[in-house]
Amino acid sequence: MHRLKLFHRVILRPMLAQPSRGLLTFVAVALGVAVVIAIDLAGFAAAGSFRSSMESLAGKASLELAGSTGIPEDTLGKLATLPIPVRFEPRVEEYITDEASGVVTSLIGIDLVAHAQRNLVLGDASGLEVLDHPRAAWVGAGLGRQPGDELRITIQDRSETLRVSGVFQEEGDQPGTNRVVVVDLPVAQALTGREGLLDRVEVEFPEDVDEAAVRAAVSAVLPAGVELRSFGARTDANRRMLGAFRWNLRILSGIALVVGAFLIYNTISVSVVRRRGEIGVLRALGVTRTGAQALFLAEAAAFGIAGGLAGAALGTLMARAAVDLLAATVNALYVTSTPGAVSLSAGHLAASLLLGLGVSLAAAFAPAREAGSIAPVEAMARGRRDYDVRVNAGRNALWGALLLATGAAFCWMPPVDGRPLFGYLATLLLILGTAMLLPLLITLLNAAAQRQVTRLFGVEGLLAARSLTGSLRRSAVLVGALSTAVAMMASVALMVGSFRQTVMVWMDNQIQADIYLRAAAPSSPDNYPPIHPDVAAALEALPEVAAVDRFRAVSLMLNGKPATLGFGDSQLMRTQGRTSFLPGQDRQAILTRLPTGPYVVVSEPFSQKHDARVGGTLQLPLPSGPMEVTILGIFNDYSNERGTVFGDAAVFAPRFPRQEITSLSVYLRDGVSLDAGRLAVEQATANRRVLVFTNRSLRAEAIRIFDQTFAITWALEAVAIFVAVMGMAGALVALVMDRRRELSLLRFLGASKPQIQRLIYFEAGLLGMLSNVVGLLLGFALALILIYVINRQSFGWTFQFHWPGALLLGALTLIYAATLASAWFPARVATRLNPIEVIHEE
Amino acid sequence: MLAVSKHYRSNGVDVPALRDFSHRFRAGEFVALVGRSGCGKTTLLNLAGAMDFPSQGEVWIGDACTSRLDDAGLTRLRRTRIGFIFQFFQLLPTLSVVENVELPLLLAAAPDPRAQALRSLEWVEMADFAQRMPHQLSGGQMQRVAIARALVHRPQLLLADEPIGNLDTTTGNLVLELLRRAASEQGATVLMATHSPESTSITDTIIRLRDGAVEDITQPACTV
Repeated sequence: MHRLKLFHRVILRPMLAQPSRGLLTFVAVALGVAVVIAIDLAGFAAAGSFRSSMESLAGKASLELAGSTGIPEDTLGKLATLPIPVRFEPRVEEYITDEASGVVTSLIGIDLVAHAQRNLVLGDASGLEVLDHPRAAWVGAGLGRQPGDELRITIQDRSETLRVSGVFQEEGDQPGTNRVVVVDLPVAQALTGREGLLDRVEVEFPEDVDEAAVRAAVSAVLPAGVELRSFGARTDANRRMLGAFRWNLRILSGIALVVGAFLIYNTISVSVVRRRGEIGVLRALGVTRTGAQALFLAEAAAFGIAGGLAGAALGTLMARAAVDLLAATVNALYVTSTPGAVSLSAGHLAASLLLGLGVSLAAAFAPAREAGSIAPVEAMARGRRDYDVRVNAGRNALWGALLLATGAAFCWMPPVDGRPLFGYLATLLLILGTAMLLPLLITLLNAAAQRQVTRLFGVEGLLAARSLTGSLRRSAVLVGALSTAVAMMASVALMVGSFRQTVMVWMDNQIQADIYLRAAAPSSPDNYPPIHPDVAAALEALPEVAAVDRFRAVSLMLNGKPATLGFGDSQLMRTQGRTSFLPGQDRQAILTRLPTGPYVVVSEPFSQKHDARVGGTLQLPLPSGPMEVTILGIFNDYSNERGTVFGDAAVFAPRFPRQEITSLSVYLRDGVSLDAGRLAVEQATANRRVLVFTNRSLRAEAIRIFDQTFAITWALEAVAIFVAVMGMAGALVALVMDRRRELSLLRFLGASKPQIQRLIYFEAGLLGMLSNVVGLLLGFALALILIYVINRQSFGWTFQFHWPGALLLGALTLIYAATLASAWFPARVATRLNPIEVIHEE
Repeated sequence: MLAVSKHYRSNGVDVPALRDFSHRFRAGEFVALVGRSGCGKTTLLNLAGAMDFPSQGEVWIGDACTSRLDDAGLTRLRRTRIGFIFQFFQLLPTLSVVENVELPLLLAAAPDPRAQALRSLEWVEMADFAQRMPHQLSGGQMQRVAIARALVHRPQLLLADEPIGNLDTTTGNLVLELLRRAASEQGATVLMATHSPESTSITDTIIRLRDGAVEDITQPACTV
C-alpha cells in the first residue's frame, strides 16, 4: 500500500502532469505490439491456419494415397480385397471459382452414397434421390446458396453449371468460412476430365490395427507413381514452407517493437534523470535501492500493460486489413488457400500483454537499475550522469565493435533447420552494436562538424550541436531509435529494389514468346489447371502463329518437400528463350543435351532446398514408376520458391498417362502485329475459359503480384518509422522541459523567441541528419545480410545488388521532413516558457 | 523608474509585488536592494531588466520605455544595454568558459565575439580558464565567469540577483569587488539584490524595500 502511494506520488503524478509525454510512449508501445500481433493474426488466418480447403469432409484417416497425376480407379478394387479392416475413401479434387462471387474454392468429389450411409456431414440417405441430377452439388454455407440454386463455376478452362442440392456446415467451422463444393465422385471425374482416376484415397483403420501392417499390405498392391503417406503430409509440408514466410514477416514486424523499446528506454531514462534529486531525497529518507528501482520498473510496467492491451485491440483491426494482402501473397508464391477469419484469441491477448510488459521491462531495466544506484549525495550533482556517459563512450564503442564483429561472423553460419537464425541474430547484433557505437560517433561527428555547423547556422547551430553531446545518452537513444527504423526501411528498400530489378531482368530473359495462355481456373505454384489439348492444336493451325510451346507442370513431393516438375520444348527454349543459368554453366550445351536422355535442370530455390548440385541425381516419382534423372544445370527462377525441376517433353510426356497442358507459349510469325496475333488467339479460344496475356501484360501482371507481395513489408516499415518520429516528438518535448532553465537563461542573455525556436528545429534537424546517415549505413549492412544471408537461406534466391536511388532519396527526405515537423510542438512549448518563473524556481 | 507598481494574481487575488517605486539610477552607480524575501527585490530587477512589464508606471532604460516595446524590441534592449548575474551562476554546462562568455555577443550577431569574450575574461582574471568546462570550476570562478558574460557587451545596466548568496565570504568579497569595478571602471549602473548587510558597505546607494514599497534610501559615506 505504501509502495503504491509512493508510486502514485513519485511516478504517476508527474506523468499525469505531462500527459503528452506519457501518451506518446504508450502509443509507441501499443503500435509496436499491435504490429506484431496483427502480423501474427493475419499470417495465421492467411497461411498459418493453413488447412487446405481440400481437407474438408476428411474422415479420421491416418494414411492417404496420392500420385502426382492421379491414382487409377481400379486400384480401389485391389485395395478392397485386402484382408485387413481398412476403409478407403476415394476423392477427386480441383480448385474452382464461383463465377457469381469470384470466390476461389474447392470442388471435392466423394462417394456420396457411402458418405450418406455413414450419416456424415451432408445428411442422411433420404436426400440421395437428388443424385439422379447429373450436376447435383452440396455447398458449404459460406457460399450463401440455397437448395435449388444454380451454381456457375469456372473449372480448368471451362464454365460449368451445377445445381445446389443441399447446404452444409462442418463441425468446428467458423460461420461463413466453409465454401467447399461437394459432388458425387463420377460427377467430379467428368468435370475434371479425370475419368478412371482418383486424386487421393484416404485410408482409415481402427486404432487397434497395426499401422505398419496396413502400410505393408497397401503398398504391395499400389501401382507405380502412387505413394502411401501419412495423412496431411502435403499440408504439413506446405505449412513448413509457409513457416519461413511467416517467420520473416514476424521478424520484420518486430522492428516497430524494437523501436518502441528504444523509446521506453528513453522515457524511463528521462524519468530517472529528471528525478535524480527526488530519488536522492527518497533514498536519504529510507527508500531502499530495490525500492527505487522497483518504482521505475513499475512505471515501465504500466506502459507495458496499457500498451499491450491497446496493442491487442489495434492489432486485431490491423490484421483484418492485412489478411487479404497476405493471402494473395500465399496464393501467388506458395499454395492455393483462402484466408480464415481473424479473431483475437485468449492466447494472442496474453501474448500482447507479455510482449508489451516484456519489452517495456527489458528496456527499462538499465535506467531503473541506475535509479537504484543513486546515492543521496550524488543526486545533487547535475549533469553528472551525462558526463559519465560521455566518459564511457569509448568503452561502449568497444563493446559495440565486438557486437558488430560477432554479427559479421554469424553471417557465415549455416541455416538451422532451414531457418537463417544466425542471419537474424546478425541483424540484431548489428543494430545493438551500432547503438553502442553511437555515443562515440555523435561525439566525434559533432567535434568534426561543429565549426561548420556554427558557421552555417550561427549560435543556434552551436547550441544545438552542444546539446547533442551534452545530453549524450538521450541523443544516442533517439538516434538509435530513428536510425534503426531508417536502417530497416533502407535495407528493405535495397532488398526489394534489388529483388525487383533482378526479377525484371529475369522476366526480360524468360518471357520471350509473344502470347501466353493458361486456364482461367485458380492456379498457384501447387495447382496447375489444365488446358484442353485441342486449344494448342487450334492455335497451331492459325496462319498468324509460327510455333506453340506446350508446357506442363505437375506438383509432386520430393524428399517430403513440395516441388514442381515442368516439361516443355527445350529446343524452343534454347533457340527462342534466354533462360539464364548460374555463372559458369553453359546454357547452349545444357539445353542441347536436355532432350537426349534422363536429364533435368533445376531452379535455384530447388537446388537450395534439396541440396541439389550439377551432376547429382534425383529420384522422380512418376506415374510410370520412379525415374532417376541427372541434373545438368541450375537456372535462375523467381516464379515460385518451392522449386522447379524442368525437363524436355520428349523425355517426360510419355511417362504420363494423359497428355495435359498447363500453359501455352505462342510465337507469332514475323510481320504479324501483337494486336492481330492476340485477336486471332482470342477468337480461336473463345469457347474456352482461358486467360490470354501478351508478353507485356504478363510482365505487368508479374510486377503487380511482386509489388502486392511486398506491400505489407512497406506497411510495417511505415509503422516503425511513424513510431520513431512520434518518439522523436515526445523526446523533444521532454528535452525542452528538461532544458527549460537553459532556454530561459538564453532569453535573459538576449535570445529572441525565433532564435529559441530555431534552436529546437536545429536540434531536431541534427538528430534527423545523424539518424539518416547512421540509418543509411546500417541499412546498407543489413541489406547485405538480408540479400546474401537471410534470403539465400530462407528462399534460395540470388539477387543482383541494386540501389533504388530515387526511392531511398524520397523516403529519407520524407523522414527528415517528418523529423523536422516533429519539432514544431516542442519549439512552441519552448517559446512559451516564462523565463522569470523558470530561473527563479531555483 | 517612474511610479512603477507590479501586481501578480494568485488564486484570484491581486498580490502587490512592488508599489509606486520611483528612482533615477545614475551611470556608474552601484545600488544595493535589500530587504526580506518577497519584499520586491527580484521583481524590481526583472522590471529593470526588461524581462517583465510594470502593472503601472514606466521603466526607462536610457531613451527606451520598456512598456512601449514589443518582444523583439525588449530582446534588442537586453542584448545591448543589460547584463544579468544570478545566484546560481547559470552557466551553460555544455559550453566552455569562453563560449559561455561570448554567448550574448553570438545571440546579438556582434562582430569578433571571441576577442571580446577573452578580454572580458581577462578583466575578471579568468582568461587562463577559457577552455575549461563549467563543471571544472569552483563556485567563485563560475560567478566570475558569469560576471564576464554579463559585461561582455558593455551593458549600461548590470543586474545581479543575490550574486554572493551561494559563495563563502572571501569569494563573495572578490565578486563584490568586481561589481564595484564594473560600476566605477566601465560606468555601468549596477543593481544588486542582496540579503547580506555586509555586501552593502561598498555600494553607493542602499534601497531598503518592505512589502513592495521603499522603506528608505541611504548612501553610505565611504566605499572600499
